[in-house]
Amino acid sequence: MGIRSVKFTIDSNLENVPLIGMSVNKLCLSVSFSDIDAFNIELCVVEAITNSIKHACCGELGHEITVVFTLTQEDVMLDICDTGACPMNPERLDKAVIEPPGINLLDIGGIAEGGRGLGIMKEIMDSVIYRSKEGENCLTLVKKLPVK
Amino acid sequence: MEIREEKINDVDVLKLEGRLDASSAKDMKEKVELLTKENRVKLVIDMGGVDFIDSSGLGSLVSSLRSVNKLGGDIKISALQDQVRAIFELTRLHRIFGIYNDSDAAATSY
Repeated sequence: MGIRSVKFTIDSNLENVPLIGMSVNKLCLSVSFSDIDAFNIELCVVEAITNSIKHACCGELGHEITVVFTLTQEDVMLDICDTGACPMNPERLDKAVIEPPGINLLDIGGIAEGGRGLGIMKEIMDSVIYRSKEGENCLTLVKKLPVK
Repeated sequence: MEIREEKINDVDVLKLEGRLDASSAKDMKEKVELLTKENRVKLVIDMGGVDFIDSSGLGSLVSSLRSVNKLGGDIKISALQDQVRAIFELTRLHRIFGIYNDSDAAATSY
C-alpha cells in the first residue's frame, strides 16, 4: 500500500485541540500502535498544537492550524503548521529537555510549571523537526511503525 | 473537565473527570486557589477519571503543589490510569508527588 494522508484544520482555539488529538489517537491504533504509543503520539500532537496556539498565534483566535497525518510503509508523520506571527526560535527545540540537569526535587519552588512540551515530544517521537519559512511555521513529528 | 469535591476526614478530595490539558489547567489552579484561601491545604487529587494529561495539566499540578506547600500543606495524587501514570514517570513528576492507588490510601497518608 502506498502513502496515505489526512488533513485536519482547526481554528486556534484550545477547545478544538482534543478533536485532533483524539482523531490521531484512533488513527494510530488502526495502524497497529499499542494503546500507550497511541496515547503518547496524541500527547505530542496536542503539545505541538497547544504551542502553536499559545505562542505562535499569541493565544489569539482566528488563526488556522493544520495537522497532516501521513502514513508510509515505515512510519507515521505529523505536520503541524500555523501562520502565527511569533515563530519559535529553533534553539528552543535544540535545547529542550524534560528536566533540566541539577534540579533539586526537594525544592518545589525550583521546579518549572511549564516548558516540558518540547522535551516530551523529543523523548517520545523518533524525530522532531521545526521550520519557519515564508510566514508558515511547521513542526514535523515522526514515529516509526511498530515491528510486526 | 469536571471537578467534584469530597471530604475524607479533614482532607479535601478533588475528583477530576475528563482531560487535564491546556484548556482545563486554569480551572484546576483556580479550584486549588479557592481552597488555599480557606486554608484547606491537605488535598488529594483523585485522577481516576482523567484519561488524558498534557504538560499544561502537569504544570497546573506543580503550581498547585507550590501554593499549598507555602501554607504547610501537600497534594497527594490517587488512582492514576496507566497511561497518565506513564506521563508522570516520563516527566519525573512522580518523584515530587505522593502517588497512591486510591483516595482513601492517599488521605490516610496524612
